Amino acid sequence: MGFSRGVAVSSERTGQEAAPDATRLLAEGAKAGSEATWLLVGGPNVGKSALFGRLTGRYATVSNFPGTSVEVASGQCAFRGRRAQVADTPGLYAFLSVTEEERVARRAILASSGVIIHVVDASRLERSLPVTLQLLTLGRPLVVACNLVDEARAQGVEPDVGMLADRLGVPVVATVATTGEGVDDLASVAFQAAVPVDGWALPQPFAGVVSKLVCDGRGAASVRALEAELALAGDPEMESLVASSCRERWTEAEAARAAGWDSAEDFAVGLATARRRMAAALLDGVAPAASSRHPERGWRGALERVLLSPWSGVPLALLVVYLAFYEFVGHLAAGRVVEWIERVIFAGWLTPAVRAAARLAIPWPAAQDLLVGPFGLFTLGVRYAVAIVLPIVTSFFLAFALLEDSGYLPRVALLLDRGLKRVGLSGRAVIPLVLGFGCSTMATLVTRTLETKRERIIATLLLALAIPCSAQLGVVLGILSAVPAAAAVWALVILGVFLAVGWLAARLVPGEAPSFFMELPPLRRPQLRNVLLKTGTRVRWYFAEVFPLFLLASLVLWLGDLTGALRSATQALVPVVRLIGLPAEAAPAFLYGFFRRDFGAAGLYDIAARGMLSPAALTTAAVTITLFVPCVAQFLVMKKERGLGVALGVLAVATAVAFTVGGAVGWAMRATGAWA
Amino acid sequence: MSRVTCGTASGCADCPIAAGFCLPESLAALETGRRATVRRLAVAKAGDLRKLLALGLMPGVEVEVERRWPAVVVRIDRASVALDEALAQAVVVSRQRSAVGRQKGAR
Repeated sequence: MGFSRGVAVSSERTGQEAAPDATRLLAEGAKAGSEATWLLVGGPNVGKSALFGRLTGRYATVSNFPGTSVEVASGQCAFRGRRAQVADTPGLYAFLSVTEEERVARRAILASSGVIIHVVDASRLERSLPVTLQLLTLGRPLVVACNLVDEARAQGVEPDVGMLADRLGVPVVATVATTGEGVDDLASVAFQAAVPVDGWALPQPFAGVVSKLVCDGRGAASVRALEAELALAGDPEMESLVASSCRERWTEAEAARAAGWDSAEDFAVGLATARRRMAAALLDGVAPAASSRHPERGWRGALERVLLSPWSGVPLALLVVYLAFYEFVGHLAAGRVVEWIERVIFAGWLTPAVRAAARLAIPWPAAQDLLVGPFGLFTLGVRYAVAIVLPIVTSFFLAFALLEDSGYLPRVALLLDRGLKRVGLSGRAVIPLVLGFGCSTMATLVTRTLETKRERIIATLLLALAIPCSAQLGVVLGILSAVPAAAAVWALVILGVFLAVGWLAARLVPGEAPSFFMELPPLRRPQLRNVLLKTGTRVRWYFAEVFPLFLLASLVLWLGDLTGALRSATQALVPVVRLIGLPAEAAPAFLYGFFRRDFGAAGLYDIAARGMLSPAALTTAAVTITLFVPCVAQFLVMKKERGLGVALGVLAVATAVAFTVGGAVGWAMRATGAWA
Repeated sequence: MSRVTCGTASGCADCPIAAGFCLPESLAALETGRRATVRRLAVAKAGDLRKLLALGLMPGVEVEVERRWPAVVVRIDRASVALDEALAQAVVVSRQRSAVGRQKGAR
């Protein structure tokens, strides 16, 4: 294996020389009339999304949620007069993929035509370098961003990026995404990145087998080479792709593999081991060997033991949940902030002003109602969205981003793995489940990070049924805060339903049992910039998704009110509502719930605020509305991700469970005479 | 798979694998603080193999057990990876002669 290949561009050289080059390249770019495209690739927890934020800055048009990115997000990078389209992919541990998000990342890499920027963790190069070597077999322009060099420096394992660049034959740039160090270098190097002079072949004897499968004769370095390698290593998706596109060669290659290895698994293990050895040889002298380092000691080690031991970890997790969600989101945001915005801004100032303006400007009462009536676009749609939902959702996402950025969530996943196995899930499900307390729609998308179909279905069901989203949670806690005992009953009932339904689903939904495996990222102090970026991105996503639905809901309700359809629909619901012991006035709230869960809960808030519900009725209403059908957006995402059958099934189960359990709670309370 | 435990007074004199290593056993059987080398991945399903490879567990890799409960946590390179007991059972390791790790932590 030779190390020196082609001319390497190391970060030291590019910093100074970038300006004249950029001018030249700008001219070339203008001539070609094309914009550069970059694809960010890398493992989870290496700061890929933070780097994406740095590169794209305020030009970012991030379309989803970094950190738990399950889709390819894209943004624009403008640097010294040049522009590049930057795409961020979900985290990828290895090309032999396990989860759906990894397959999304892999497809994006195989389909890309631009520059690939491989983001690696500077203090754990030996973990990322095998993937770098695989990316090199693509024969595409490649830049390695050696991120988190500040951590490597602190640990005394800072790599020699110049030496690594020389050995790999592609530029390697040292970066710290959180401070912006090296990001300019990375951008200028990426604009100049070319196809590596000499493509990297696979180690023998693997190359001999894989080459039998490379159909288009473009040689070893191509997308086909990687596809062929993965197919031979037993990747189901690649196997069917390659086997169907060139059947004779596939038979031939399989025979060659059978001659040297017992199975596809053997081939995969052999190849992975060979690559790991190559990576170790490449890193010799670049960075101190891993084995020379002892595991983390000091405060980090101590904190780690406290977090991971169930005796201290579980109470601590409960405390975090209490502080972050009950105190911060529930009390502060949903209580004080919402109350202040409602009373001071809307009731005190905005609503009278808009109402007066509407009366002056619009002569028809029906049209006035469309804007400022009981179901008006402003009085209902805008007010619910801005005054009630916005503060709650923002505070939740802020708390979630803090936990996410600190690396705490994987520890919770480890702690809860055994418990979650009882309900058919693995520790991994902690992330969508906790996110579900923010927005169940977003969380349903994130269930893609779960490994098996069975887990995804169970998680989808539990998210729809027993995980209240932050807006709903905030409103429910707001309603129940007057009666703490009612809040306790509500929490126990919802937890009971979660466990019972999960336990049943684990027995009824077919498929293989889940397994838990996860890299634990180092505990890090959350970076304010990162936290704000993530919160901002999620709130923006949420609003883009929710605001139109709020307006649509107002419009439909206004139309229903005008035509009398609303009255009949409400009348139809009244017997059901009465059956579970609620006043007829609560019926509209359930109707609103179809549009958005929080919308329904907010409707209930209005009734409760007028003191129309007894504590027993309050508890019944809160339980029912929490368990009740998912909102329109969540239903649409369920249908998209799981199919119409599963979505309808979840809907039916949720409706039945909501009214049965809600009714039973009300009945039990009245029968025992509790707060009647 | 044989689960011969090592640590006898005679040490690893008759270990057939290599000098300094002991008879193969499962990663799930190692105590906290123990260092070992991965020998083989004895998985039942191809999917499990991909998970172990993604974590960086493959023959020749050195690991140190950091925790056994509620899930197995091992130090590999400079990273900590967690896996449940079922997956850890599939990792065949041979322990290194001397445990240089810290004192036994919580179980």
